Amino acid sequence: MSVSEFLPGKEAEPTSPDSHDPDGIELRLAARLEHLPIIRSVAANLAIRADFDLDAIADLKLAVDEACSTLITRAAKGATLSCRFFLSPNEIRFAAMVLSKSDHEPSRDSFGWRVLTTLTDRADAWVDMNGSSPDGRGPLVHIELAKRKTLGE
Amino acid sequence: MSEPVSSRPSGSWRGDSHNEYEHLTPLFHELAGATDGDPRRPRLRDALVTGHLPLAEHIATRFSHRGVPREDLVQVATVGLINAVDRFEPSRGSDFLSFAVPTIMGEVRRHFRDASWSMRVPRRLKELNLAISSASGELAQRLGRAPTPSEIATHLGLSQEEVFEGLEAGNAYHSVSLDEALSADSDSDPLADTLGEEDSALENVENHESLRPMIEQLPERERQILTLRFFMNMTQTQIAERVGISQMHVSRLLARTLERLRQGLLSEGDEDDG
Repeated sequence: MSVSEFLPGKEAEPTSPDSHDPDGIELRLAARLEHLPIIRSVAANLAIRADFDLDAIADLKLAVDEACSTLITRAAKGATLSCRFFLSPNEIRFAAMVLSKSDHEPSRDSFGWRVLTTLTDRADAWVDMNGSSPDGRGPLVHIELAKRKTLGE
Repeated sequence: MSEPVSSRPSGSWRGDSHNEYEHLTPLFHELAGATDGDPRRPRLRDALVTGHLPLAEHIATRFSHRGVPREDLVQVATVGLINAVDRFEPSRGSDFLSFAVPTIMGEVRRHFRDASWSMRVPRRLKELNLAISSASGELAQRLGRAPTPSEIATHLGLSQEEVFEGLEAGNAYHSVSLDEALSADSDSDPLADTLGEEDSALENVENHESLRPMIEQLPERERQILTLRFFMNMTQTQIAERVGISQMHVSRLLARTLERLRQGLLSEGDEDDG
């Protein structure tokens, strides 16, 4: 497991599937690329309603797309993709995970990672080697990202 | 989805405009006679593009009121015009207009194919979305950044809920079938001013050997937008202003380009597992 630049100085939000955040929004769907539009439109919808500016809304949408594509292409057969959104007044945080066929961390030198870090304020990825998921135990790949309101910058 | 643009130019503008542009014909010969390094070249090219702009605007206007912002159409038609100016060979004996009109229309048609409403969206929502798109352009100019939905609501005198609806309707505005996105694009080019920058930036990316050819195959505008966003860190609003299209259109093109690159890398195998 590796956690790097994510959330310095803030309470780490638990990302295990059985922790409950009463204000969070969770989606669970089959880890298949054709479900991307659903997650994408939830992300856009939340950012619109939080009154993010249009650039930030579009960025969050693209970032969620990128993160979920990465996870889906690493998913074990028939796995479930779990996505959670955490809303605070100035930030939307997104955490997704999937049971994987491989214990490789998503690379930080890939073009996809550059896309993710350009679009968000923070991004992190790691593998929980022996995680437990709705699909059973095994390597769980996590990606988390956060997008802040950019108003007035 | 219906094909909104007929492939046959109808006579209405051609008949009149033929004479209107005739004074420009000698410039083509001059351009053809100038060597690559000739300082007259850029000036002649500019004069030809500028001189024929009314033609591009004409064609764009003809296809407005079809749910695509006119500013986007004019920009697209101008790209077509620039391509036509660059490729036209006066020595072949045909006149410029009969070469340019199909080229410009082709560009506009491609735009319609790439950017139309993919589902049945009520007319009210399409218009709402268009109004939001142009309001956000104006507001971005004034504010120097992208506006928020509530700022747009205030500007248009709409409720926030209406703006939400209009923005969400935008999700249905793109028909990006992968086949289309992957079809070879012969209409690329002459604006390639960003190539060098993306080249050096790519060096640091681990899968750059497989990415580079895919990026090179992108239509020029998509490649430029990708570079400005991910290698030069410009916002979508800044890119929209630079390229001359709406922010919403930048957003759609970026989404499509990223999807295309992901698909391409995927079919190459999991090289990013490194």
